[in-house]
Amino acid sequence: MSPESIEVLISLLFPLVLLIGTYLIGTLLERRHFTDLRAREEHFRGFPAITFENLPAGWEATSSDVVQGSVVVSLDYFKRFIAALRALVGGRVKSYEPLLDRARREANLRMIEDATSRGFHAVINVRLETSRMASARGDGKGTAGIEILAYGTAIRLASPPS
Amino acid sequence: MRFTPRLPRDGINVSQEHPLKEATVLIVGLGAVFALLFILLVWLVDIVLLLVPAEAEARVFSSWDLSSLEVLSDDSRQAPVQELVERLAAHWPESPYEFRVEIMPGDEANAMALPGGLILVTEGLLDQVETENELALVMGHELGHFKHRDHIRRLGRVTVLTIGAAVVSSSAARVSLADTVGNLATRSFGRDDEREADRFGLELVQAEFGHVAGAWKFFERLDASALGIDRVAAYLSTHPGNRDRIDDLRALAAARGWPLDGEPVSLALGLR
Repeated sequence: MSPESIEVLISLLFPLVLLIGTYLIGTLLERRHFTDLRAREEHFRGFPAITFENLPAGWEATSSDVVQGSVVVSLDYFKRFIAALRALVGGRVKSYEPLLDRARREANLRMIEDATSRGFHAVINVRLETSRMASARGDGKGTAGIEILAYGTAIRLASPPS
Repeated sequence: MRFTPRLPRDGINVSQEHPLKEATVLIVGLGAVFALLFILLVWLVDIVLLLVPAEAEARVFSSWDLSSLEVLSDDSRQAPVQELVERLAAHWPESPYEFRVEIMPGDEANAMALPGGLILVTEGLLDQVETENELALVMGHELGHFKHRDHIRRLGRVTVLTIGAAVVSSSAARVSLADTVGNLATRSFGRDDEREADRFGLELVQAEFGHVAGAWKFFERLDASALGIDRVAAYLSTHPGNRDRIDDLRALAAARGWPLDGEPVSLALGLR
């Protein structure tokens, strides 16, 4: 085998190994995160985090404050590769969907955890915001990650829900 | 109003398709489509370029800018090689090209046919050929590429690949696969092209010297030294330098009744 063909083989193999490796790691992390999300969502199931701007009728707030939860996510190599291929033909970028779903749910949970740890009973006027974080490389044209921010008005009720 | 606690539902915002399924469909599908497009495009470019008459090609590329190529512009070895090429080309009177030989620096033995009748020869090749007959076959081989216009077809292939790689890499995965595969595909002319070029080269050698003795000695030496010396690796990387090639030449000489015995002509003074 000539040194040249070894070079070619390495340049072909390296991306392939990277793809397989990041797929395996990414899948494992994603599965674990979804399990964790479901458990915590089950735990906070009874905690109202709602999008009403005003207090629902019958609720009486004694105090309030802003609560927020924020998550920064980035893509793994495998997802990026698939999305790049997808971008050639267009269509639903399925490889991004679980990632963004995880990020939204995680941000929401962190906001709720912020509220419960400070003794609030509910969060109203919940909003989600997304912003792109520019990468330092390539004159800021690339994307380093996405931040998902969940925030709302936490309220302490005069008569807490049972 | 009552607050009814519910869990977020899975599977609304996340598609349930397995990511590997999407990956497979995309990779196989796109690969097939692009391979097909590539073949189609190369085929079209081949046709278009071959429709361009050799005279027009010679005209367009006569002003080929050599500044991007490192050539030794006033090397004393240029004249004898040029003279040999012209003597060989005289046996191909209908040639539309005005051949121009340029010497490239470097120990590696190699020769290349470029559009417009430009033949590049490395210093390494001139160092390693021992008789004029050997050099004549190498030069005749390159003339054979002009005869069959292989160089023009390679130009088409390289153009398509370069454009393709640029399009893909600017919008999608920055994996160097495109470059790699591209380089592999265009490194050399096809095997059949090489054989045809060899045959034409030998024909010129026979016409010039009246025999083919010693013409493929250079290839034999390449073959023998291929394992040890990497100086010849360059020539081998763009030319198939194996037994098949020599056997084919031998068979051709036998079939045409070209004499295998004769006195090889020693190299011109400037090349010795």
